[in-house]
Amino acid sequence: MNTTTSPILSVHDVCVRYADRLVLDNVSLNVDPAEIRVILGPSGCGKTTLLKTMVGLLSPVSGSVSLFGQTLGELDSPQSMDLLKKVGILFQNGALLGSITVAQNVGLPLEMHTILDAKIIEEIVEFKLSQVGMLHAKDMLPQELSGGMRKRAALARALALDPPLLFCDEPSAGLDPVTAAGLDDLLLTLRKQLSITIVVVTHELASIKLIADNVVFLYSGSVLYEGKLSGAENAQSGPMNDFFQRIFRVSTVSGMNASALFDMETRQ
Amino acid sequence: MPSHVTKGWIEKEALPFLKMNPSEFPCLDFSKTVSLDSAGTALLLFLGKQRFDIGKKLVLKNISPQLKNTLENIRIGERKLIGPQKKESLFARTGTALMGGKQKAELGISMLAELLYWASLGLFKRRDFRKGVFEQQMFLMGYKAFGIVALLSFLIGMVLALQAALQLEKFGAGIFLAPMITISMIKELGPLLAAIILTGRSGSAITAEIATMVVGEEIDALRTMGINPLQFVAVPKLFALSITMPILSLIASLVGVLAGFLVAVLYLDISINLMIGEIIKSIYVHDVLANVVKSMVFSWLIVWIGSFHGFRVHGGAEAVGKETTLSVVNGIFIIICADAVFSFVF
Repeated sequence: MNTTTSPILSVHDVCVRYADRLVLDNVSLNVDPAEIRVILGPSGCGKTTLLKTMVGLLSPVSGSVSLFGQTLGELDSPQSMDLLKKVGILFQNGALLGSITVAQNVGLPLEMHTILDAKIIEEIVEFKLSQVGMLHAKDMLPQELSGGMRKRAALARALALDPPLLFCDEPSAGLDPVTAAGLDDLLLTLRKQLSITIVVVTHELASIKLIADNVVFLYSGSVLYEGKLSGAENAQSGPMNDFFQRIFRVSTVSGMNASALFDMETRQ
Repeated sequence: MPSHVTKGWIEKEALPFLKMNPSEFPCLDFSKTVSLDSAGTALLLFLGKQRFDIGKKLVLKNISPQLKNTLENIRIGERKLIGPQKKESLFARTGTALMGGKQKAELGISMLAELLYWASLGLFKRRDFRKGVFEQQMFLMGYKAFGIVALLSFLIGMVLALQAALQLEKFGAGIFLAPMITISMIKELGPLLAAIILTGRSGSAITAEIATMVVGEEIDALRTMGINPLQFVAVPKLFALSITMPILSLIASLVGVLAGFLVAVLYLDISINLMIGEIIKSIYVHDVLANVVKSMVFSWLIVWIGSFHGFRVHGGAEAVGKETTLSVVNGIFIIICADAVFSFVF
């Protein structure tokens, strides 16, 4: 159990650019141990980019990201790879290696980073797969699994090395409500059992309500709000209000109104 | 405008509107119009966007309140005023292309250095590949390629020998077919043929595999698991091809020589013993060494080009196909260039 109160993850004034486009603009946030932090915001606001920056897949043009007190940009490649062993990531589509079975996928981090005997690895794999309810599919190939099963298997792989920090990119995206709720329950159970810190990127309100301790609301690459979900939901105007209004209306429209194109004079 | 601005009217009458300069659009009078379908709305939106891009609005006069309400409730994508577009000068385009080429070359060279590092000195630091993958790659890229390499080498050896035999026979110099086919196959054609076949077969497979992994975020997943993707995916292929390629190259050379032998014996009626003796006399250690060295370097080039194109893919399935094609074209080009350089060395 981690007794320190210093943040497990710190993001300081991070700016990220894709070519000429500034995707993240001075983003700062701190995540405490054993917390479930949800990063939310409308599509294209930079949520996944922020997640990729937090795990070192993207380099910020300015600012810094610290994991477990170590700044990612200051580490050489082997050091940052060692640091990443303490982090588990659940990608949006699972990102399981297609050429090997589910069990081999889950066992991969153990095979690569430990010198455990193959029999012990097999036991750990079975334990992790049973934790996510996927033991029956251990000899299947990823392409034989449904979307929800793939995400569960990917979660087992992300947890293989017992990481103290878990990142999830849109865990409920593309899943039916029952499967999505099951995955959320699983995250809560894992936090309770293992006291791990979880950072979730999502815009599924049901999921956010169920799992979030705190939320970060991103809008156009900037942090608009950081705190409890109720604070963001109660916003009376602006993008946050617009975002939550749209979620409740289950509307998918975006962009500007066509009336901006026309000068209309009504018939008398 | 007519009473029904619908598909039927658009099909017949809308063309002049579409060809019109946005600054010359007239006010559209909707005093008779009572209905507007999707095609009619699309026409108005198209014209409206054209006007919007030059900072003006499309004027719709005498529109009924219902149609106005319909148009007001349509959401479209965000548009910004772009104004007149300036065409980039030839100088700027050349500069951009050159800078792009320089960037690609830098990326390619740094990947080659990284690949060679992780396949040699880097092995003392970490070994990010799974047990059994090396043998699996040798089977896939070596054993499975044996048939096609042998068949094509036999056919090319036979064609070469037949063409040469036709000329040599005229001068009664048929016996010179033995050194000609032996030296050319061992020193030159064996490694080159094997390399070209494997570029098409294995180089494309390497690019497609890695590119698909990039698109499916599998490469990102490896990185975040603290696994070096280059060592995990490309290094076992490099080792496997470094061993199987010289073997395939020697096989290609021997099969080519066998084809020449058959042509000499069956077409030129040269005695079997004499031909075998001449072939053995034409095999030099130096040439065999050249065969092995060349084929090994070619194998590195195949894995390098294949991996480079695989890792640089951006986008979806179409980009995977595009990079795979580029990988084969560039691979064959670079192998032929390298062969030209080797011709000066050996």
